[in-house]
Amino acid sequence: MRTHPFRAGVIVAGAFVASISAQITVPSTPPPQTRAGGNITAKPPTGPTPRKPNGQPDLTGVWLRRAGIVNIEQLLPKGETLPFLPETLKRMSLLKSQDDPQLRCLPVATPRSEPYPFRFVETPTHIFIVMEAVHGYRQVFMDGRKHPSGDDLQLSWQGHSIGRWEGNTLVVDTIGFNDLTWFDNWGHVHSDKMHVVERFTRVDLGHLNASMLVDDPGAYSRPFTLTYTAELMPNAELMEYICDNEQDAANIDAPADAAIDAAKLLKERYP
Amino acid sequence: MRYQHFRVVGAVALSLQLSSTIDAHHSFSAQYDSSKPIEMRGTVTKVEWTNPHARVYIDVRDDQGQIANWNFEMASPNILVRNGWKQSTVKIGDQITVNGYLARRGERMAIAGAVADANGKPIFASNPDITR
Repeated sequence: MRTHPFRAGVIVAGAFVASISAQITVPSTPPPQTRAGGNITAKPPTGPTPRKPNGQPDLTGVWLRRAGIVNIEQLLPKGETLPFLPETLKRMSLLKSQDDPQLRCLPVATPRSEPYPFRFVETPTHIFIVMEAVHGYRQVFMDGRKHPSGDDLQLSWQGHSIGRWEGNTLVVDTIGFNDLTWFDNWGHVHSDKMHVVERFTRVDLGHLNASMLVDDPGAYSRPFTLTYTAELMPNAELMEYICDNEQDAANIDAPADAAIDAAKLLKERYP
Repeated sequence: MRYQHFRVVGAVALSLQLSSTIDAHHSFSAQYDSSKPIEMRGTVTKVEWTNPHARVYIDVRDDQGQIANWNFEMASPNILVRNGWKQSTVKIGDQITVNGYLARRGERMAIAGAVADANGKPIFASNPDITR
């Protein structure tokens, strides 16, 4: 018996939907009615790492990173400082607090974070990292493609991200950043040569260990690694964050904190 | 100009830590003066439930009976909600007392670190956990 093309299409589509639904667990009952956005003081839940049917960790949930927001150096190994090139110190020494792109509601980009949660959304070909801060998202290609090269690599705020699983760890490799973002409120900067490799490991139900290997020969003399642990916010959802009432930039006229540090370091190191 | 319900309070009354942590959006010290903590009491005239900051505006009466409107920066609505506030927690016409710090620039602007209702009951405290 021949299968009608339309019927074959239905079968293929049905198989595709089944393959997606096999990976995603939908609760049989809706969660309890809770405060919108969750409770910032709630402790993360305890329990084993949840897993998808294929055995990989399930990163589902609303995650909050609390560390390294004001100053990214808090995420370096103890005793380490950022290995600035002299030209980076010169560039930073001129920065004003009011120049911070995020202050002006521009995107929050890796490795920066704000005190707002994020969520992973996984499909067979992509992982999206949906960030509450300034209503942003990152697109991670999980289909085996490579980074574009040459003129095909378009510089952007979030860069070009490709991902893969290494055992229990999601590895996200990103290049193609513009040089407009700051690492933090402090005013640490980078160049458009920055390459970031992030590793996300859900070590248990409530904790996500993350590291960011930052290799930026255009701004730093050697690669460095930033680490943090994000916590699962129980019964939380992402909230809308449209930055429509910015009044700060016009009322600030001060050097960036990093500018003060950079001027001091320039004087000490290159008198 | 002196305000009847405006006084510069001791630095110990409100720790810098408390206030700086409600605001990870920008450098605290660039915009606000930690050496100028204030306490003001007045009537709410407007609440802006907006990002990057919610704002509450209050009419404050000075010694001569003149009223001036002050603009207080708070955390974002998202952070306020996650700390137990609702959009209706502070309404136009409410009498509130705000502890905070004066802005370095900007006329009659300050940051709110703590808010209390007409009976002195705290209705907002910033969350020192946010940027630890």
